[in-house]
Amino acid sequence: MASQTSAVTRRTVLGAAFGLGVAAASGCGGPAPAGPGDNGEASGTIRLLTPIFEGTEGQKTLEGLLATFKQQHPKVSVEVDYTTYGKLSEKLTTSIASGRPYDVMLMGVGWIPPFAAKGVLADLGEDQQELTSRFNKRVVDPGVYQGKVYALPIMLDTRFGYYRKDIFAEAGLSAAPKNFDELRDMGRKLTKREGGKLVRAGLDILANDLRQTFLPLLWANGGELFTPDGKVAFNSPAGVGALQFMTDVILTDKTEDFGFTAPGAATGVPLVQGRAAMMVGHNNVWLEIEKNAPDLIKDGKIGFFPIANTRPAMFQGGTLGTVSAKSQSPAAAKALVRYLADSDAALAACKQRGNVPALKALESSEYVKANPAVQFAMGNLDAAYSEGGVPAWLEIRGDFKAAIESALLGKKTPQQALDELAAKATEAMARG
Amino acid sequence: MTVTSPPAAALHAPPGTAAPPPRRRRLGYERRRAAWLMLTPALIHLTWWIGVPVLATFVLAFTHYDVLAGTISWVGLDNFTEIFADETWNLSILHTVVYTFFTVPVAMAIAVVIAVLLNTKLRARAWYRAAFFLPHITATVAIALVWMWMFEPNVGLFNAVLSMAGLNGPAWLSDPDYAMAAVIVVSVWKGIGLKMLIYLAALQSIPPETYEAADLDGASAPRRFWSITLPLLKPATFFVFVVSMIDAFQVFDQVYVLTPDGGPANATTVMTFEIYKTAFSEFRISTACAQSLVLFAFLLVLTVISRRMTGKDDDAR
Repeated sequence: MASQTSAVTRRTVLGAAFGLGVAAASGCGGPAPAGPGDNGEASGTIRLLTPIFEGTEGQKTLEGLLATFKQQHPKVSVEVDYTTYGKLSEKLTTSIASGRPYDVMLMGVGWIPPFAAKGVLADLGEDQQELTSRFNKRVVDPGVYQGKVYALPIMLDTRFGYYRKDIFAEAGLSAAPKNFDELRDMGRKLTKREGGKLVRAGLDILANDLRQTFLPLLWANGGELFTPDGKVAFNSPAGVGALQFMTDVILTDKTEDFGFTAPGAATGVPLVQGRAAMMVGHNNVWLEIEKNAPDLIKDGKIGFFPIANTRPAMFQGGTLGTVSAKSQSPAAAKALVRYLADSDAALAACKQRGNVPALKALESSEYVKANPAVQFAMGNLDAAYSEGGVPAWLEIRGDFKAAIESALLGKKTPQQALDELAAKATEAMARG
Repeated sequence: MTVTSPPAAALHAPPGTAAPPPRRRRLGYERRRAAWLMLTPALIHLTWWIGVPVLATFVLAFTHYDVLAGTISWVGLDNFTEIFADETWNLSILHTVVYTFFTVPVAMAIAVVIAVLLNTKLRARAWYRAAFFLPHITATVAIALVWMWMFEPNVGLFNAVLSMAGLNGPAWLSDPDYAMAAVIVVSVWKGIGLKMLIYLAALQSIPPETYEAADLDGASAPRRFWSITLPLLKPATFFVFVVSMIDAFQVFDQVYVLTPDGGPANATTVMTFEIYKTAFSEFRISTACAQSLVLFAFLLVLTVISRRMTGKDDDAR
């Protein structure tokens, strides 16, 4: 009898724990009906997760903006969680799994379809056409999923070519490269080695995130990430050609050595230091130049070019404001998103990050006039392309780096690397 | 351990008929109550923070849990089939084994030699001991950042030294042929301190008479080391081995900081990093749980093996 009681007790405890585990798991995340206060006066305490406004300066900027927001909405309090784009998915996962997602989440282009498809985000109830009249269309569209607006654009960020005019002049070159062949030729001419050691890369393709270097090359070569009906397309001949170009830069032309630099390297940006003649870079490299080599700007030694081959192309991302479908204070959350997307807040955010304003009204601002990199980006938005577009994108994008590296290191051919990546991506999309 | 003998009356009473006196019964109840009261906080903590997550991990590994949509469905062994078909996961298992294979024995060998040296009458012995132990108590991220600078191919210390000899050093952390070796070097360096401390404590428990007798017999220093020191360090060696193996299988920090995103072409990706990436970058919680169970199985096997080995040792004593 005693042993039977003991067995029942163990079963009960295990059953309870099992139930608790399943309940904990199944109760997490997921869409929820809109909470109270959706259409009422904005009030309550809301939590904001932001991957922009980094560092002390960024925090100071946001605090100033939120003080103004508080004056406009005295009944709303905002609790801020600062993070980076590198850690954003981690923060989002834990908050969603815990059943307490952030009320307002700032995220990138490409992030909206995966979250909107799973019901994580609230429909902002905005009119897409009206938004397009105020914002750049390039960042309105990524916030729209199945005809509904889930995100408001705050800023754009772009990747394009930079070159050092002084180094070009030394080598007898004057115009920026117009296609892949010219890029390779110039890269070879501008590369400098001493005793076999690379002291100046002719073309730096490693200082930028490898995926975000490959993609503009893919687009410039006439390729696409996915077909319009959502099938993998990056392993097309155009994609293989783009990766072959990168592989040739490293393995054939040796205009840069693998490991010479890396995104965010503590040693700084090689082009700024004269250790690279050309690079594929983020528009905010300009801030680095302003800070560490202002003479380059004063003497007009920095030039820009769109990556081009069969067509010109520029990578374009952006930061958008979203509201959680589970927010208990949706009116307050939406008010904050609208405020952050509005001119004062968006301009302050752009200034702090060296980014491109999404609001058309800011195109003629003093900030834009004083920043040639931003002007170049704005002038070439017709040639801009964005990543993402399929709900499984967040699962796929992390695998690009290893695939590209395996080609750059000669471990796989570009075709093999992209085919394997395409197979993985297809599996991820099939999982849904 | 104290064993209380039962009263003589209880010994002579027929089984099942002797009821303890009321005062003793009350005392037993109070003791049990006190024990439960003291145990309850720990039990709640263990159940809530360890029991439930462990159980949830086991359950989720056999489900498809969509963390974003909040849906869950039973999929049986599909997650396990999927992870073992994943080339990167299998590579991460291989890397973890390679990392463990090189980190544990090398660090143990160096630690035992240092412990023996620091057990002798050396000037500033305490300072040396502190210096060797320092990496263990320093934040891994801080250590990794310093080593990152030393490994930097253009301005780093190692390549600067190599260039003095006319050699062009590699891009240590970006070259797949060197990246794992670089991570292992950092881990060995960081792991020596604790192992050295355990060995030092074990060395100090070896009776000096053993060495005196060996001296009288004319045993040389190497002979004393191989015939006395090492055999008597066996229990400590088992302990260090088990703890180091488990620690090595769970390596994350230094790999994550030194070679972000799994290193060049996934050259340094390890099991813990893949679990982290699957869960937090790809939002595939169930798959990450299945991967965690595989890691758990590895650790369980290692623990059982070591338990048997140390158990035999205990029996012998």
